[in-house]
Amino acid sequence: MKKIQYIAIGCLLFCSTTVVAQTNDLTLKINYGAGIPVGSFKDVISNTSYRGFGAELMYHINKSVAVGLETGSQDFYQKYPRQLYKAGDGSDISAVLTNSIQAVPIMLKGQYNFLAGKAVQPYVALAAGGNIIRFNQYAGQFTNDAKTKFGFAASPEAGVYIPFGRYKRAGFSVGAGYNFMPFNYSDISNLNNISAKVGISFPLD
Amino acid sequence: MKQYAIVPFAAAALFLLASCTKDPIKNLNADENRLYITNRDSSTNFSSFKTFSISDSVAIIRNDRQHEKTRDAFDTAFIAAVSNAMVQRGFVPVPKDQNPDLGINVSNIINTYSGYVDYGNYYNDYYGYWDPYYWGYPGYGYYGSYIGTYQVNEGVISVDMFNLKDAAANGKIKAIWNGVIRGTGNDNIANISSNVKALFDQSPYIKVTQ
Repeated sequence: MKKIQYIAIGCLLFCSTTVVAQTNDLTLKINYGAGIPVGSFKDVISNTSYRGFGAELMYHINKSVAVGLETGSQDFYQKYPRQLYKAGDGSDISAVLTNSIQAVPIMLKGQYNFLAGKAVQPYVALAAGGNIIRFNQYAGQFTNDAKTKFGFAASPEAGVYIPFGRYKRAGFSVGAGYNFMPFNYSDISNLNNISAKVGISFPLD
Repeated sequence: MKQYAIVPFAAAALFLLASCTKDPIKNLNADENRLYITNRDSSTNFSSFKTFSISDSVAIIRNDRQHEKTRDAFDTAFIAAVSNAMVQRGFVPVPKDQNPDLGINVSNIINTYSGYVDYGNYYNDYYGYWDPYYWGYPGYGYYGSYIGTYQVNEGVISVDMFNLKDAAANGKIKAIWNGVIRGTGNDNIANISSNVKALFDQSPYIKVTQ
């Protein structure tokens, strides 16, 4: 799974180094993010994940509109106290159950900044594409269930962008989004979550 | 070329963050590693038994063959812990030549050859590990269809309980309960008390009076 993450990140960075030679309007944004499970996802994992990051390579068509690629990773984890489970063969199993989920989105993204050129710029964004999701369930130290799937993903987002530095070409941003993550497996239907993120943008020229 | 300075910085940051996955195994404490699995014969009323006898050694079953029977400090302590648990549930320990109602065997199953233990094979070959002659029933077979078949990739401690009271009438020895301890520390003498307690705690039906 980490290989897939590295390949995605590598592709993104490769694109950034090649495309940057052709345009003066590319930025790379690095995000730190938290993920808050909602709806039926909470039946699997209810803990908020504080282990998330993202990277966005954005081409700025003009001062308000940017399009690009987004990737990253969010790690969800929950360990349940020891309890007794009834197995399919009728046996009773006492176990500490752990659910572990990693989501790696690879999406196209569009962003619109209001109040372009101002000190504080509210923005809205929409990303859509795919998600690599790895689900692992452990009973004690033993793998009980495991599944890796690639599925649809979409994420509307809103926040504010605050430019800084010489020429105001770098910036700090704070935003929140809703991640639609369908994941039909076993008793799970989706891994929808609310994301909160902070990021720093750098010009690549 | 100043602009390219951001690329290795970003790459380093991303690779660092990519490794921030919480490892489920490393976040278990020693006791949380283990599984306690029990099976029972649902038609058996355990209150119909009064006495029991437990084998005086542990069978080491390696790669589907009995390797040896041992009685080291771990084996002695484990057998004593199971015996005490039975006494606490109201059963009376008796020597095996005094017609105990229940017989209990303890096995340590290890498979280093194929990397897993097929519990189905374990029961199919049970006669070879624990000759019914030991319980005074030479030539008898074991049976019991309730026991699940599953595979394990490490050593397990298995406690097997048999109905000797009705063996003569049935012509066979019926398996009525099985307790399995899986996971790191299952063969640690310091964990015997809590491990055996866990098996019996989740088997409240094992008692003389219901």
